[in-house]
Amino acid sequence: MPARTNITWTRRTRLPLIASCALALTLTACGGSSLGGESDSDDDGPVRIGLLVPQSGIYTALGDDMKNAFEMYVDLNDGELGGREVEIILADEGETADSGQSAATKLIKSDDVHAVTGVVSSAVMNAIKDMVEGDEVPLVGSNASPTDLVDVEYIWRTSYVNDEPGIALGEHVADAVDGPVYLIAADYQAGKDEIEGFKETFLPAGGEVEATVYTPFPGTTNFQPYLAQIQSSDAAAVFAFYAGGAAVDFVKQYDDYGLAGNIPLYAPGFLTEGGVLDAQGSSAEDIYTSMNYSADLDTDVNNEFVEEYVERFDIEPTTYAVASYDAAAVLDQAIAAVDGDLTRESLNEAIGAVGEINSPRGPWRFNEGGTPIQTWYLRQVSEVDGELKNSAIDELGELGD
Amino acid sequence: MDALATNLVTVVEGVAFGLLLFTLAVGLSLVFGMMDVLNLSHGTLYLVGAYAAYALSDGSWWGLVLAIIVGTAAGVLGGGVLAGMTLPLSKRGHLDQALLTLGVAFIAGELFFEAFGHEVVPTAPPEALRGSVELLGRPYPIYRLVFIAVAGILALAVYIAFERSTLGALVRATVADREMVHAMGVDTRKVLFGVFAVGAALAALGGTLGAPLLAPGPGIDERVLVLSLVVIVIGGLGSVRGALLGGLLIGQVQTLGVSLLPDLAPFLLFGAMLTVLVIKPAGLVPAGGRR
Repeated sequence: MPARTNITWTRRTRLPLIASCALALTLTACGGSSLGGESDSDDDGPVRIGLLVPQSGIYTALGDDMKNAFEMYVDLNDGELGGREVEIILADEGETADSGQSAATKLIKSDDVHAVTGVVSSAVMNAIKDMVEGDEVPLVGSNASPTDLVDVEYIWRTSYVNDEPGIALGEHVADAVDGPVYLIAADYQAGKDEIEGFKETFLPAGGEVEATVYTPFPGTTNFQPYLAQIQSSDAAAVFAFYAGGAAVDFVKQYDDYGLAGNIPLYAPGFLTEGGVLDAQGSSAEDIYTSMNYSADLDTDVNNEFVEEYVERFDIEPTTYAVASYDAAAVLDQAIAAVDGDLTRESLNEAIGAVGEINSPRGPWRFNEGGTPIQTWYLRQVSEVDGELKNSAIDELGELGD
Repeated sequence: MDALATNLVTVVEGVAFGLLLFTLAVGLSLVFGMMDVLNLSHGTLYLVGAYAAYALSDGSWWGLVLAIIVGTAAGVLGGGVLAGMTLPLSKRGHLDQALLTLGVAFIAGELFFEAFGHEVVPTAPPEALRGSVELLGRPYPIYRLVFIAVAGILALAVYIAFERSTLGALVRATVADREMVHAMGVDTRKVLFGVFAVGAALAALGGTLGAPLLAPGPGIDERVLVLSLVVIVIGGLGSVRGALLGGLLIGQVQTLGVSLLPDLAPFLLFGAMLTVLVIKPAGLVPAGGRR
């Protein structure tokens, strides 16, 4: 975020810095790529789905998971959804609200897609909300789901609401930990949502909070001062929310400064999800997380899904991949159910009527707010066959009702 | 007593972080101070070294030595190329340099992430440097203590080279008045190229040694650039002592500061910058004391 420095920049260099930021913004905004994208009003033609995921910037790894899983679903269905040929139009969400918004504008206004799926960043979701609702285009979101996104008609989420990982974990931690818990999170909306969600179930269950600390975001790479505070406090456990690079730094330093093994660490699943776990290595062992999915769930649907996914991409599927896979499943069912003309309007109606999705994470269905009613799992990082994995060790009940 | 020990360990951590910042910022500061080139791809040089550590440092001593050699050499090369690219623009002002170097940073960064993946990657220091020792009754990572020693020696060497040697005097003279030095028959272009290469090599070396502290991955190049800019604004352009002082100050602000004043954490960095600039607009130790 270079833009933050020019607050106190000296006159001599202010211009180039501003100009560079402008250039940076322009470049990211133009980054949206398109594959195909011809306007086609023929009802027998392919159904056009806009896949809006980051192809650049710090969220690219999540974007790749989501793109892979969506394309895998379509591929397994002979390139069709609901019996109609699919044209996937890929657009680069980038990492800022601006880049995401211009990519979405292109999909909705000029590519004339029937529906959009994807969206990693909550900031992008908030930025495009009005356009999506105004243009009445169904958006089957497969990641971003801010807590304050309510009263929407065209936005559906196959992931979960931001505060749910915290809500799922609160009561369990209150029962399992004997003493006060230290809450620490990155200082942005998602961090606050997680902490508030956690408190929502933790406090009524008799849990005690030692302290609540928000660390500057982005930019905190050095957690030692916070870890020193935790160590000299009376905390019996820690609840932490971090994702991506910050999750790697936090977990490694938690181990480096001798807290791992002494003070149990609980977190929403992002802390150890996907590629970050490889970078954390053995430092992550024994961390407890809550998530709506674990690759080791032993069901026929999941076993088949994991086998196919690992075969294709050589890594285990993440919750991000599953949410995107399910977005394809939702569209599959909805398109099949559309009677007569396939329009944005009829498709959105059909999505609302989609019943239970038989997902790798277990069966789920949309609630009134357009987010899943689903089971949550307690996972523990442990070594299985020489590899670190998030293993589901318990269920945390159903959320979303 | 317990609180004191906590804070003393945090001070040590601040020194480690501060020395890392010095290694990164000194090159940017000298190049900016001397050549008047605003190199916005400086963070990319950190990535050069850090990814060398990721690719070559396999947990053995030889791996570390190899990573240091390759990382530093790549840094020298990168610095030379950047100097060659920006020198022709020196008459055209900062804007053109900023556009060019930022473009280089974008392209190089994306190439790195295509090659090494879009996730943060781990580095493996030698076995003997892993784990922790007791420091004031608290576990402290061995690697960071060794880093303090190595980076401290490096800082001293850079200080002596630039501020106490004849060659250093030439460099400082070039910072102060390039035309005069040129008029005295010195090929200032060579001096400029040399400083750019040395500065870039230091940033890359900082990346190789600092990778376990600040792991390479998307976004790190920007963060390194921003921190380096803050350090040289506080320390003063074109001065080794300024970069050292600025680095150590920011190191403490980012550790002890956020530890003592957690509620103000998001503002401390900019608060420190503002305070210094109000008191000393040219930074703590501006080059040659001329501004």
